[in-house]
Amino acid sequence: MKRLDLIFSERELNDVLSALEKAEVPGYTVMKHATGRGPERIVTEDMEFTGFGSNAHVIIFCEQEIIDKIRENINNVLSYYGGVAYVSEATPL
Amino acid sequence: MGQNLFIQNALSPPILFFFLGAIAYALKSDFEIPAPLPKLFSLYLLLAIGFRGGIELQKSGFGYPVLPTVIAAILMSLLIPLICFLVLRFKFDVFNAAAISAAYGSISAVTFITAESFLESQNIPFDGFMVAALALMESPAIIIGLLLVKFGAPKDRPIKRKMKWGAILHESMLNGSVYLLLGSLLIGFLTSAIDPSDIKKMEPFTAELFYGAECFFLLDMGIVAAQRLARLNKTGAFLIMFSIFMPIVNAVLGSVVARFLNLNPGNALLFVVLCASASYLAVPTAMRMTVPEARPSYYISTTLGLTFPFNIIIGIPVYMGLVNTMIPSIG
Repeated sequence: MKRLDLIFSERELNDVLSALEKAEVPGYTVMKHATGRGPERIVTEDMEFTGFGSNAHVIIFCEQEIIDKIRENINNVLSYYGGVAYVSEATPL
Repeated sequence: MGQNLFIQNALSPPILFFFLGAIAYALKSDFEIPAPLPKLFSLYLLLAIGFRGGIELQKSGFGYPVLPTVIAAILMSLLIPLICFLVLRFKFDVFNAAAISAAYGSISAVTFITAESFLESQNIPFDGFMVAALALMESPAIIIGLLLVKFGAPKDRPIKRKMKWGAILHESMLNGSVYLLLGSLLIGFLTSAIDPSDIKKMEPFTAELFYGAECFFLLDMGIVAAQRLARLNKTGAFLIMFSIFMPIVNAVLGSVVARFLNLNPGNALLFVVLCASASYLAVPTAMRMTVPEARPSYYISTTLGLTFPFNIIIGIPVYMGLVNTMIPSIG
């Protein structure tokens, strides 16, 4: 089992979720209003009204085949708009 | 006269609340406004000015001075980005120059609202149809910015970053703030034409609450502007100078056009403010989507951190003085 962590601007959430749905992920968790710092700027909720709001953090637990299916679509979104995606091993409790 | 205008503007509640927010940040106070509220208040302000503008547009019709003013406003939002681009290309690549130019060619609704409050405090009449100019100046600047990228970008720009015109037009004309402003303008226009009694029902919301909501929003803007101002050192001296001097140049251009249009002083000031202000709502989000090579810290920090506070604190009274000088026969 793999864990995929995606952190990107909330503005691209629909694009990312659509890529996940296309790859038929078994499910995902979305955490909005994630703040922090990126290479370009401090990510803060204070800019929400400008459309430059905070980030979203999406977590997916799935098998390697699903990760392979979503890789290209997710990379397209993240390489265009920015964001990070990391895969790690996950062991069920 | 000029000094009086400056002091009266600086001591008005919206500007004092703006300072209150900025000082809270500077003094590291734990004061904060929960994130969804500024978004709600910005939507409220757009709805209210759109609705009231629609009512006024219905009353004034589409003859003189409405149509020439709106056409001139659109032309200014096409011309200003081109001038900005020529200046910015001395220091920036095509992507950053185009994105910053588009932001300065477009408008700031909150600066416009603050100018309206200033005119009300000075008992200077103005017309609500100017909101139509406000609503129609966002999109052309975005399109010009993107055309500058299309024709100026290096030929080896990755294929995935080629322009998709459908998405560009969608973003420039249907982004949230433009959509709400134009929609509210239309609803105000229709309400006024079909059943004016409904306007009375809306008034407690769209008119009486407006000034307080504006103060509350500016309180938050003070915090945000102070944060952006603190990070301006990364943008460099050229851009800092640009974000102060370009609005003044645009204001002078706007006042020449306002004189040519024979606008009354109130409308002339609003026209000048539209030319001098810079967008931090529609344009940055459109630019980020379509020109990811441009650095948001350039076009957000300058428009929000410097140009916006400059315009609302110093610019508006200075532009009023400019209008009074340029249009002496009417003013």
